[in-house]
Amino acid sequence: MRNLKLKFRRIELEMSQTKLAEKVGVTRQTIGLIEAGDFNPSLKLCIAICKALDTTLNDLFWEENENEEK
Amino acid sequence: MRKSKNNLDERQEQMLLRIEHNGCWIAFWGLVAVIIIQRVVLDFDSGNIAGELIVFMMLALYIAVGCIRRGIWDRRLRPDTASNRIVSLTAALITGILRFAYMIKNFPHMILNAIAAGMIAAAVAFAVCFAVLQFSAVLFRKKQAKMEEEPPENGE
Repeated sequence: MRNLKLKFRRIELEMSQTKLAEKVGVTRQTIGLIEAGDFNPSLKLCIAICKALDTTLNDLFWEENENEEK
Repeated sequence: MRKSKNNLDERQEQMLLRIEHNGCWIAFWGLVAVIIIQRVVLDFDSGNIAGELIVFMMLALYIAVGCIRRGIWDRRLRPDTASNRIVSLTAALITGILRFAYMIKNFPHMILNAIAAGMIAAAVAFAVCFAVLQFSAVLFRKKQAKMEEEPPENGE
């Protein structure tokens, strides 16, 4: 499932994937894969991303039931 | 000694572990294939394949001990007598067929002897495999019971 909330928040802050990756200490590919929904980050990385984007876990990683895909 | 910094992020670490996991199983089954080919097809004696046997046994022992120590048995099989019997019968069947093939290749005119050798090898393989599995299952259950009794660690 694509993480559009993360992507929109990053774009809102005019931050590139590379910049976000540098801030949280991962590669740009990892950020791309999280946004594409192809990699499930650990809670530790989720928290680091939230701090870098000045937001909360709920805002970026919580999915409502109707949006959930099996 | 100071540990050098890990250059990988958690996704790359997971990918590397998956690659290493696949590499481990390629090595495991590759060794099985090499040992069978050298012993049955090329007719090498045990001395000539000692290196492969030692590496294979070390690998198998490491995986078995590592799993039992951490309270892991198998993804699909259960540590019970019925499952152990099926696994042992499968091992016995393969061993019997390989022994029969080896005998037929070297003594083509002695079919009855080949059948007897195959059956004896199968029976021995079944007994050894079943005993080892049952013993391992006992160790596994003991380890699991011990882990259940351990109090949860604070802050972990």
